[in-house]
Amino acid sequence: MPFTQVNSKVVQAKIQAGQRLYSQRGAMLAYSGAVSFTPDLAGGQGGIGGMIGRRVANEATPLMTVEGDGTVMFGHGGHHIEVIELSGETLYVEADRLLAFDGQLRQGTMFMGQQGGVMGMVRGQVTGQGLFTTTLAGNGAAAVMAHGGVLALPVTPQSPVHVDPQAYVAHRGELQNKLTTALGWREMVGRGSGEGFQLELTGSGTVYVQASEEKL
Amino acid sequence: MTPPVSAPVIHDVNTLPSGDNVNPYAFSVDVQGQWFLQKGKMIAYYGQLSFDGVGHGRFDRLLAGSFHSPMHAADWVVAEGSGKMLLADRSFDINSYDLDDGNLTIRSGNLLAYEPGLALKQSIIPGFLTLIGTGKFVAASNGPVIFAEPPIRVDPEALVGWADCPSPCHHYDHQYLRGVLGGVRRLTGLGGASGEEHQYEFVGAGTVLLQSSEQVMAARPTGATPGQQGVPRQRGGVGGLLDM
Repeated sequence: MPFTQVNSKVVQAKIQAGQRLYSQRGAMLAYSGAVSFTPDLAGGQGGIGGMIGRRVANEATPLMTVEGDGTVMFGHGGHHIEVIELSGETLYVEADRLLAFDGQLRQGTMFMGQQGGVMGMVRGQVTGQGLFTTTLAGNGAAAVMAHGGVLALPVTPQSPVHVDPQAYVAHRGELQNKLTTALGWREMVGRGSGEGFQLELTGSGTVYVQASEEKL
Repeated sequence: MTPPVSAPVIHDVNTLPSGDNVNPYAFSVDVQGQWFLQKGKMIAYYGQLSFDGVGHGRFDRLLAGSFHSPMHAADWVVAEGSGKMLLADRSFDINSYDLDDGNLTIRSGNLLAYEPGLALKQSIIPGFLTLIGTGKFVAASNGPVIFAEPPIRVDPEALVGWADCPSPCHHYDHQYLRGVLGGVRRLTGLGGASGEEHQYEFVGAGTVLLQSSEQVMAARPTGATPGQQGVPRQRGGVGGLLDM
């Protein structure tokens, strides 16, 4: 796989001729070999259609393509980085959390309303995902940024997982997520626990949670 | 390093490490004699230590041997005596490095302290200092330090320093501005910049030190005490005459 973790905040990618990586602009720390960094007008795959889709969906983070033959180190803003390897599954992640990803992965945009209709849209507002989120599918690896370390919590049909929406980073697999509320009279009088909203993930897959409630 | 979940470790003068990290963000130096120290990086000390500004008459011989950077004189003090002092800087990762008749160049904001066995000089690259000689020094970085071997090209902001290799040169990469499409791109500005058009290029034998983020540690003014209640005011120029 192209990504190896150098330390908790830096990943190294080996790239060979004919291969291609996408990475957030300005996230390169160092490289050796003949590697070129080209700002990607379309912000990823899918040509003009994909570009317009991402602009409309506000998932158009400035990306660059990394091509050539050599080794590149990526890191950004001192954030912790988690390498997520995909073999056929789909990863759901916010575009601005994506540090770099394999060019072989298919990049797409998903409307939050597809998962749970209006509640899905409300959920997007609470987690800060907005109305749309980015999907990556296929075989390859993606490096995802988080504030603080990342925990991968497995979700099985027997054991759903509840996550603080602000600590949610990404998820993969066949997961249904829904926003659960635990609002009562305490919230109404301003004496809430601060944990009134939670994401409940059911199904089978993995959810990635950061060790902080700070957004990127 | 302390385990992630444990009772607080209580140190005293004997249990504090000497010349080693207390945790990733604090470093304990066993001072027997003199150490150079950047202002404001000492957070606590045990023992009999005095801190005097560089330029003090008593230190003439010391300065002649180990301090050749008049531009930075206002940022440095000499710690003298015997005791243990703790160094830290804005919770950045702290590491110590040993030079054995070697040389190392480092971004001036990252260097915290060094032994007088080393001589501090200004690098010809602005903003960098070179240490030459034998001894230990302590430096900070935003995230753990990565050691890399040339040939390598490094983002200017991610560079901490380099050892034993010739000075770097600038590398500009505008590969994507060539050709017809590139020309359109350059003329219209369409597509934006990749942010990776400029690097420092290292060749030759040696070691390059990188930090784990392209966030530069802003060299904050560390000479003055914070202006808050309960802290005596630092006296300004001309013996505080202007400080009424």
